[in-house]
Amino acid sequence: MKKFLAIVLAVMMALSMMSFATAESMTYDVKIWVAEAAKELTQKQVEAFNAENNGVITFNATIEAVSESDAATQMITDVEAGGDIFCFAQDQFARLVQAGALSRLGTKATETVIANNDAGTVAAATSGDALYAYPLTADNGYFMYYDKSVIPEEDVDSLEKLIADCEKAQKYFAFEQQSSAWYLASFFFATGCVSEWTTDDEGNFISVHDTFNSPEGLIAVKGMKKLVDSPYHLSAGGADQFQQNAAILVSGTWDFAKVQEYLGDNMGVTDLPSFEVDGKEYHLGSFNGCKLMGVKPQVDEVKGAAIHKLAQYLTGAKCQMERFEALAWGPSNKEDQASEKVQANAGLAALIAQAPYSVPQGQIHGSWWDIAKVIGDDVKAAKDDAGLQAALDNYYDKIASLFKLDNNALLFVGAWNGWNNADEADTYYLKDGVVTLEVPESDYMGGRIVKPGDWGTDKGFAQVTEGKELVKDLGEENPDNNIVFAEAGNYTVTWDGTAITIKKN
Amino acid sequence: MSEATAKRHMGLKASRAVTNTAIHILLIVISIIWLIPFVCIVLQSFRVENSGQVGYVLPKVWGTDNYSNLFQTDFPRWYTNTFVAALITAVLQTVIVLCMSYTLSRFRFKMRQPLMRFMLILGMFPGMLTMIILYRVLKDLGMTQANATPGLILVYIASSGMGYYVSKGFFDTIPTSLDEAARIDGATRAQILYKIILPLSKPIVIYTILTAFMGPWGDYVFARYIAFGASAGKNVAVGLYDWLSKDQISNNYTMFCAGGVLVALPVTVLFMFLQKYYVEGVTGGAVKG
Repeated sequence: MKKFLAIVLAVMMALSMMSFATAESMTYDVKIWVAEAAKELTQKQVEAFNAENNGVITFNATIEAVSESDAATQMITDVEAGGDIFCFAQDQFARLVQAGALSRLGTKATETVIANNDAGTVAAATSGDALYAYPLTADNGYFMYYDKSVIPEEDVDSLEKLIADCEKAQKYFAFEQQSSAWYLASFFFATGCVSEWTTDDEGNFISVHDTFNSPEGLIAVKGMKKLVDSPYHLSAGGADQFQQNAAILVSGTWDFAKVQEYLGDNMGVTDLPSFEVDGKEYHLGSFNGCKLMGVKPQVDEVKGAAIHKLAQYLTGAKCQMERFEALAWGPSNKEDQASEKVQANAGLAALIAQAPYSVPQGQIHGSWWDIAKVIGDDVKAAKDDAGLQAALDNYYDKIASLFKLDNNALLFVGAWNGWNNADEADTYYLKDGVVTLEVPESDYMGGRIVKPGDWGTDKGFAQVTEGKELVKDLGEENPDNNIVFAEAGNYTVTWDGTAITIKKN
Repeated sequence: MSEATAKRHMGLKASRAVTNTAIHILLIVISIIWLIPFVCIVLQSFRVENSGQVGYVLPKVWGTDNYSNLFQTDFPRWYTNTFVAALITAVLQTVIVLCMSYTLSRFRFKMRQPLMRFMLILGMFPGMLTMIILYRVLKDLGMTQANATPGLILVYIASSGMGYYVSKGFFDTIPTSLDEAARIDGATRAQILYKIILPLSKPIVIYTILTAFMGPWGDYVFARYIAFGASAGKNVAVGLYDWLSKDQISNNYTMFCAGGVLVALPVTVLFMFLQKYYVEGVTGGAVKG
């Protein structure tokens, strides 16, 4: 009997080992969406991954060419049927997170990605506290190409001199100021203006800190006006401008090969120039953006983990270097960025020279691009400083209305925000509706909650349901519905959408 | 008196000549404007010195590289998809439309009027409204992405019965006494359709075939939606349009033009041979005898 038991146990052990062995070697079908140019290389890289993993994880990859600028639209059509791994330009990130098309990175992967990649690209893949994608490139920025036969080298640092050179030679200065928010933001970044948007973990936009409508913003549009008023400013892009009588083009690495072909030895590549307003120099800024690689959420968790492993491999130092060598895509990996080969590439070198003046393109509300785009035309149409200010006001009103549409987006006005009540560019919009307030004396006016933009005064004293005993009813003396605290102390005020509750801490 | 008449006649002739010349000049100008884009596309498709967009029209180096390169891409697959879909749709849709028109023109049954009214109202809803639900249905049938072509054929022919108006109008103009004579001679209803009505309505049959072929041939919106993210399921319109995306346009623009020329070819040939019938068909159904 003992012997029989031993045999049974031995067989079971052998069987369990066998099943263990089959569980170890996993083969998965995976659909990968990459840019047309990267198709072959990606296929090779997946094969290299399979070889490195010695048959433990094997991927049968189907690689489809899907443009990075179009990936979000394609993914959102039907996430279930979309690519398991897909590459996209960072401006689509928030949309993809909201649609549930990206799965969150694990703790270890998050650490690795943060440690190895450029901080700007990591920020672009982060929503709330969570990392949702792998940085793939860090070359989506712009700098200046110029024709050395027209523009003297000593003039390339001054916008005014460049405009004069172009006008003298009757050649165009191609810089998309009237057709693209991405490029016109350059002038605002030069004077230190910001447009920072905050998203929560689900990818929803919850607040904005935007200072385009400010004294610095006015300086920026004054600089912009110098350029757009020139008859030789051309609001267009593309390397072919050099075939059509342009002397200067502001564009990115994607035009490098073509510009080189058109200009040959006359090609000059450098960072953007400075402009002067009221005797002060401002170096033009830029966006610096990136491409990301995302992994779709999987029903099978083991498969999901395996795909994440593959994505991590494909965005690792080795694969990024291969992409740089084959396609000249600028790596986001810090080790690759520091390598000699990357440093020797003129386009990437210009990007690196521009980098100190560039702003990482974080999460930006999709409507911003259209709202900001019109600034260029408004500035050109403006006749004086008042006109320039009107262009900024117009911009600001539209930004504010983005949150006005959201009933939960509210502005706490009064003592709550330090009496900073003007609808200024600096005002923060709060969505979660909680504020704590230090009340220094009795009969102290806290303020009320209004909708940004139209200042509806319907959320104040009358809406207080809990903690009514802590506030004072002023009756007709209080037509604005303000909340007045009866006693000094520390209070927490919460607005839940219909009622205000006040608690003494 | 005769002199005066002659003068008047000369004046008439001269003014007619002036008018005709003016009209012809106008027509020539309009046709040049109309033809410019086509000529440009054809010229660009033969440009080999540079594959992106350039600021001139006449190629500096001529060649057929763009056409031969097309065969290195998925283009033949897209072309086949489109051609198969268009051909099958043309056949099935024509059969359905003609049967429908014949039935509604010749038969008198209880639900005839309500049915026609119902289809009129149904036809007022834009087809795009159904896109999302159709996608779900096709996906469950496994007819999306790489297998999009059969799914698209299904969609194209599914509602074709509703396009009976023009051909029914034409059939209505054929005297019913012909049908009656044939019935007396012992012909069945089906025989009347294909032995009497169809030979008499060649233009409308050809018009139906042509329109049925053109629909799938040029479809973009629906094809893109059903075949998203899978190159093997795309049709020419979707596939070629992808070459115009930001990252591909500078490499694939001339190839796009070559593809465009190849797409236009069969349709142009078809129209050139069948133009006579096409015009008759369009106007034929409109005149009710």
